[in-house]
Amino acid sequence: MNEKAEELNRVEKKDLFASGHRACGGCGQALAARLVHDAAGENTIACVATGCLEVFSSPYPDPSWRIPFLHSLFENPSAVASGVEAAYKALKKGPVNIIAQAGDGSTADIGFQSISGMFERGHNVLYVCYDNEAYMNTGVQRSSFTPYGAWTSTTPMGNTTRKKNLPLIAADHGIPYVATATVDDFKDLQRKVKTALSIEGPKYIHILVPCPLGWGHPGDLTVKICRLAKDTGLFPIFEIIDGKVTNVRKIPVKVPVEEYLKPQGRFRHLFKKGVPTEEVAEIQKIANHNIERFNL
Amino acid sequence: MEKLPLGLALDLRKVVPYKTGSWRTLMPVNIMQTPPCTHSCPSGNDIRGFLRVLAEKQDYEEAWHVLTRTNPLPATCGRVCPHPCEAGCNRRDFDTPLAINSTERAVGDYGLEHNLEHKKLISKRKEKVAVVGSGPAGLSCAFHLGKRGFQVKIFEANSEPGGWMRYGIPSYRLPNYILKQEIDKILELGIELECNVKVGVNIPMDQLTRDYNAVFLGLGAQTGTSIKIPGEDAQNVFTGVEFLKLINSGQVVEIGNDFVVIGGGNTAMDCARVAKRLGANVSVFYRRTRVEMPAITAEIDEAMEERIMFRYHTNPVKIITDENRVVGLLCGQMELKEPDASGRARPVPIEGSESVYPADTVIMATGQAVDYDGIEIQKRDDQWISTNEDLMTSMDGVFAGGDAVLGLETVTTAIGQGMRAASAIEDYIEGNVESRLAQPPVIYSKDLNTYYYTQEKRFSKEAISIHTRLKNFKEIYPPFDREDIIKEADRCFSCGLCYNCGNCYMYCPDNAVKISPSTGRYEFDLDFCKGCGLCAKECPCHFIQMTLEK
Repeated sequence: MNEKAEELNRVEKKDLFASGHRACGGCGQALAARLVHDAAGENTIACVATGCLEVFSSPYPDPSWRIPFLHSLFENPSAVASGVEAAYKALKKGPVNIIAQAGDGSTADIGFQSISGMFERGHNVLYVCYDNEAYMNTGVQRSSFTPYGAWTSTTPMGNTTRKKNLPLIAADHGIPYVATATVDDFKDLQRKVKTALSIEGPKYIHILVPCPLGWGHPGDLTVKICRLAKDTGLFPIFEIIDGKVTNVRKIPVKVPVEEYLKPQGRFRHLFKKGVPTEEVAEIQKIANHNIERFNL
Repeated sequence: MEKLPLGLALDLRKVVPYKTGSWRTLMPVNIMQTPPCTHSCPSGNDIRGFLRVLAEKQDYEEAWHVLTRTNPLPATCGRVCPHPCEAGCNRRDFDTPLAINSTERAVGDYGLEHNLEHKKLISKRKEKVAVVGSGPAGLSCAFHLGKRGFQVKIFEANSEPGGWMRYGIPSYRLPNYILKQEIDKILELGIELECNVKVGVNIPMDQLTRDYNAVFLGLGAQTGTSIKIPGEDAQNVFTGVEFLKLINSGQVVEIGNDFVVIGGGNTAMDCARVAKRLGANVSVFYRRTRVEMPAITAEIDEAMEERIMFRYHTNPVKIITDENRVVGLLCGQMELKEPDASGRARPVPIEGSESVYPADTVIMATGQAVDYDGIEIQKRDDQWISTNEDLMTSMDGVFAGGDAVLGLETVTTAIGQGMRAASAIEDYIEGNVESRLAQPPVIYSKDLNTYYYTQEKRFSKEAISIHTRLKNFKEIYPPFDREDIIKEADRCFSCGLCYNCGNCYMYCPDNAVKISPSTGRYEFDLDFCKGCGLCAKECPCHFIQMTLEK
């Protein structure tokens, strides 16, 4: 038992997602992709939808992938992954880790039907969503993961809707494992990937990945922004195992949402000469709601 | 072109990655900085170095070697140093500073117990250096010169080496055997010692300057000065220096019942606490208040714990004698007015406030001076030896350091001066004129990313109970638990030097931080680093910093 816990908690670095990719400096998604695949190990197939990750990691002739990689469309990474899994079954090969992955646009909007289908059919696939809260690859358009108040090129006055809560929707499909994570706590993130891959059936991991370009913060703040998202309560960290919310990360010292909003350019319009507008109070309400709901 | 299997577009083994390093405008660099502990240590000990060795390798032996690179007397300093390093420690802004002094003592004691030996840097040179005085300054100078192969001879006026550490500091603070062992270790470097020779009296100064390539004067300040009041030549009136010397030479002094110490410095505290152990009723008379006392704070605290009476605002006017024996002390009360030249409040007597206090012995611990008997040298303020910045005196080839130069200072300061004088002497003999490398910049709390540190309780040393400690002259702090000390060393932030936390390695989105195969340390792969600065931001100890691309 102890050995297993040790194995889960060990930090992995294998560089299966190698240097040379074209992500911006300080990219949260590139960091998350490396952490996920290093935890999964060599015996892994990556099924990646169109999006930043695919664009910056796979230009011919020098891709960053050191494991098999399949590119699919926005709408079908989960369908492709389901097919790969079915093929392995039919050929009586394996076991192999199959990771379907995409950004928030593919996950929450365009590819949502295929995810829902994959969960429902019960394929043995891990789905990883890199949530950078907008369509960053095509020029920062609003997605249904864009938080309330955030600027995007299609919501120049700030987004007026709230973020879709996909982890809970995924859990309500009745799948065995759902987790949320951020890139700042790499130990926790890699543990969750390893735990997910040890479970049979569809799994879902939601990772918050700051985008320095789209969020408008310097690249060196990527890790700090993640930490603030957790400590304000805006991004709750938990696991849902067999429908039960467990391992909720308690906030050590609660931080007001202003601290999270201020360093980011996409929330700049929420402060008039440094004074927070009423939208900030609304965002604080969302944070308070999360804190209460998940008992953070 | 080689034919690939059907369906495979690319042979991944032959991929040449695209060098993203060309995007960079800022570049990460490793910059080792001076931690504030070393910066505030008068002898410049590598405190971070020995603490990290203890924490990472649990290796007391290596820690001792790191510490003795600068300080040959760690067990002594671990007991008597007022540890300015702890006041500098960056952890003070986080929870509590490290107990550096206690760790130093534990490492020093380990070295003595396991009989570790100092390493010589250069085996032998023909140049000879004479060191006058075997106090901390002299010993440190001799040690550093001895390590560099010089033939060193120490001349000591007393019968045993150690200077004021031997004859001034009482054994409940610094046991004699500890000092003796540490001195023996220094002498093992091949340093000669001749006791009972007073330079200027038994040996003329010219002979030293003629026979040796250089001379170091560590004279100390071991002449007590008294305030001129009527009755001061009575029996049972001593200067603090005289009294401590008598006691530490093992002589019996009749002190009677009421013991009065005049003064508020370290010598005053030592006299008072010694007398308390001899069974007297001790009071300390001081013109100002506790705030202005020059003694080390811990010393005053311990003296108060030992129920020594402190009378502030009290100035002796006359010693009352009966047949040349002291019977009492006439004192006036003072009030404090605007500060004087020393920055301390100026005491002014209140008229008609005189009263008499009983006294059997009076100690005047009111100042110390240098004994210049037979040594003619240029002086500063008519009191202390004047030197240039290389510690050379008015005589060519004669260097000086310690209390005789500084005025009254600590053991550690004297050790630091001895070390600097040794470097200056080496430069003098070799004819070097180039200055030594400057110290890297000091790192302060604001530069650290303390998110990665956790708050932990500070190690606290336990003194033996007052009741027991007043019965004898045994050391009041028993030895520390070695495991506790290692735990304490692990609290060190390692300010300004990598401690292998691995943040840069794990956080780099471009995998541009690699483990060097030759050194095993982290290094930047500048072919791929995009200069985002994430590693620098998340480096807890500010070892990684961003600079402009060249």
